[in-house]
Amino acid sequence: MNGPRLWVTGVGLVTPLGVGVEATWTRLVRGDRAIRPIERFDVSGQRTSVAGEVDGVVVEGQAWSRTSAMAATAAEEAIRAAGLDVRGARVGLVVGGTTGGMLETEQLLARLHAEPEHREVLAAMLSHPLTATGDRLDERLGPFTRVRSLSSACSGGANAIIVAASWLLSDEVDVVVAGGSDGLCRLTLSGFNALGALDPEPCRPFDARRRGTSLGEGAGFLVLERAERARARGAKPLAALAGWAAGSEAHHITNPAPDGAVVASLVSRAMARAGVGPEEVDFVNAHGTATPLNDPMEAAALGRALGGEIERIPVSSSKGQIGHTLGAAGAIEAAITALVVARRTLVPTAGLDEPDPAARVVHVPHVGRPVERVRSAISCAFGFGGMDAVLVFAEPEMQSTAAPAGAPRPQAEPVITGASVLGACGLVAGEACADVLQRRWDLSRQLDTDGPLDPMRARRLDRGARLGTIAVQRALEDARVADASDAGLLLGSAFGNVDGSAAFMHRIFEKGPRSASPAEFPNLVPSSPVGHTSIYAGLRGPAFATADLAASGESAVVQAVQLLRAGEAARFVAGSVEPRSDIVERVLAALFAHAASQAGAKHADVAAAVVLETAHVARQRGARVLARVRQTLEWRADARSVLASLVAPSGAAAEVVLARANGGSDALLAATPWAECPRVTCAEALGESDGLGAVAIAVAAARVAAGRATDALVLGLAKGRGFALVLAR
Amino acid sequence: MDSTAGLRSELKRLIVAELNLKGRDPETIEDDAPLFGTGLGLDSLDALQLAMVIEEKLGVRIPEGEEARAIFRSVRAIAEHVAKVRGR
Repeated sequence: MNGPRLWVTGVGLVTPLGVGVEATWTRLVRGDRAIRPIERFDVSGQRTSVAGEVDGVVVEGQAWSRTSAMAATAAEEAIRAAGLDVRGARVGLVVGGTTGGMLETEQLLARLHAEPEHREVLAAMLSHPLTATGDRLDERLGPFTRVRSLSSACSGGANAIIVAASWLLSDEVDVVVAGGSDGLCRLTLSGFNALGALDPEPCRPFDARRRGTSLGEGAGFLVLERAERARARGAKPLAALAGWAAGSEAHHITNPAPDGAVVASLVSRAMARAGVGPEEVDFVNAHGTATPLNDPMEAAALGRALGGEIERIPVSSSKGQIGHTLGAAGAIEAAITALVVARRTLVPTAGLDEPDPAARVVHVPHVGRPVERVRSAISCAFGFGGMDAVLVFAEPEMQSTAAPAGAPRPQAEPVITGASVLGACGLVAGEACADVLQRRWDLSRQLDTDGPLDPMRARRLDRGARLGTIAVQRALEDARVADASDAGLLLGSAFGNVDGSAAFMHRIFEKGPRSASPAEFPNLVPSSPVGHTSIYAGLRGPAFATADLAASGESAVVQAVQLLRAGEAARFVAGSVEPRSDIVERVLAALFAHAASQAGAKHADVAAAVVLETAHVARQRGARVLARVRQTLEWRADARSVLASLVAPSGAAAEVVLARANGGSDALLAATPWAECPRVTCAEALGESDGLGAVAIAVAAARVAAGRATDALVLGLAKGRGFALVLAR
Repeated sequence: MDSTAGLRSELKRLIVAELNLKGRDPETIEDDAPLFGTGLGLDSLDALQLAMVIEEKLGVRIPEGEEARAIFRSVRAIAEHVAKVRGR
């Protein structure tokens, strides 16, 4: 293994098999199946109406969703098991998820369907932004020094663990609580039914008679820390998080690439990072959805990565017991895989009677069994849009025999080599971004979201995906990247596709679940613009969406810088996508009816992107550098102490670039070397949008490149959080 | 007299509108050209969308699985299936 060893010192689980690790584990090993007729909501008219539901979740108050409640229970269990004092160290929190508060929002949408202007219902509509689960956990279990909310559809829980690992390797935090949570809801049930992806019976991974997956719900969290620190505080490890790899198939929004080439390469890379050879792998917890397409693809990919050892290594899928828990699956199954290593007991594949010869692996049918030891084990998670993640867990003290490969480049210096802004100013790139704030653009002007795209290839892209794809392609052109296939992609969005989800649900309320649109469903996933963009532009690096309210763009770019520094990829495109939302505007108008300034704020479509590379890679290809990223900072409650380490401008003409004028930023900057620097703001010129943060970064990079500023500080603030990026020549 | 001509035109319009094939003239879709794979370039997700739309707009349910594959061979095959179901 490269760099410091990372240990899992605690796990927590809430699954349809039971609340808590022991309740889940006992039934898991026994082969119990928790997939049964859905009781939570009306399922009349649904093709398939069985799923794995969690019993005994208590949801308190409007701010809490089922998803958040399950997450709090699982994260609290993991923290307790690790004996961790969250206040006693720099502890980060990473939450992966997809559905968030959709179950609760559906009830509001049903009421709005009947009474479109109901003020209280409208006001409640914004109770569940994509950050809600992270924020509730921060309030209840924190404060954490850093919180990230991310979505990559069904691999979100695994990507959360990869983000945690990168933070730990960069020594930016001491401990990370990372995982995922997703509650079952009508929207996902209707959508997966529309795709014909659900088995009417409890699903049977790897079985010849399988007809699709079963949905589930739940939460899984892991406590991860550097081994030497865990040892110092006397914490006992369950397993080491030895290796990982994330990447994108760039193939199709719902279907896996049948050749499994990306999956095979991720398994190989994750093993190489762990310094583990196929002969040291003793178990695989497969993604194993039981869809006709997944299982043979995954078996072939594992075969390619593990070679002849595939004849020996047992492979199981837990989905026949708990169902597919979407954004939680990667984390729940990671926790299960760590437990398999710790307890030297294999978990089974339930429902498997007739192994499909087209998906040939060594199975553990029906019941689990103890084994002598599990030196290392692999967990796979794949998501809509082809966003995949693979994790390798190993015995805590395992000494690898294989030569470690792919050494990370710690603290690589990031530079910005391309920038684009798409909004009321039209599509602008490179140094020209320096001028987009010089005038107030006509916000009623219709953006051309067709022209720059091939109509056939873009036929499934909704507005958000179009905005994102156009901005990202333009930023890559500006950076003159000939082959961007290794690039990662991170896009921030505060609320995801609110209007699309509402329209999807309205059709179901009106015409029943059979009218759910299969083509529209994948566009409702918060990471949909990321998936579509990575497919359209052929980007195969790590990819996910981040959410941080009005600082979502800053969050995505800062996260990309962190992953770049940790060596997760040598190039990222990062930015924000925020299509104008009628619903969000109606809600804001209802909420701020008394405050003319807020209600009168003109909203606009916004997308912006920057290309980030390591200085080394940029130099090697002779790229023009717009700006260097000197520093990134982020904070939750304690802005002032974090900003105390803010670097001073290096030159005489430094500027502060802000998404919007904000009294809070002046107060924060007063105690820093940037107090007297001129301010440049985006909202007046381009309209209000939660996506302005990435515009500010693109503009800042362009102003530095064009010689308007020697240094630029972008300060991104939103309720309870903030980000700072310092750019320089 | 070709009894499904009107239905075929309607299906072509539906395909272009509902699958968002911007800039494509419905009349340029050939009656017998394959819709999926190498032909019009549609895929399994388009097929699901088309089945949903045909059920909603034309009131005819497309069966799932292998049967659907045969029906979705071409515009003519879909029209014949719709006519057959309606004629029952």
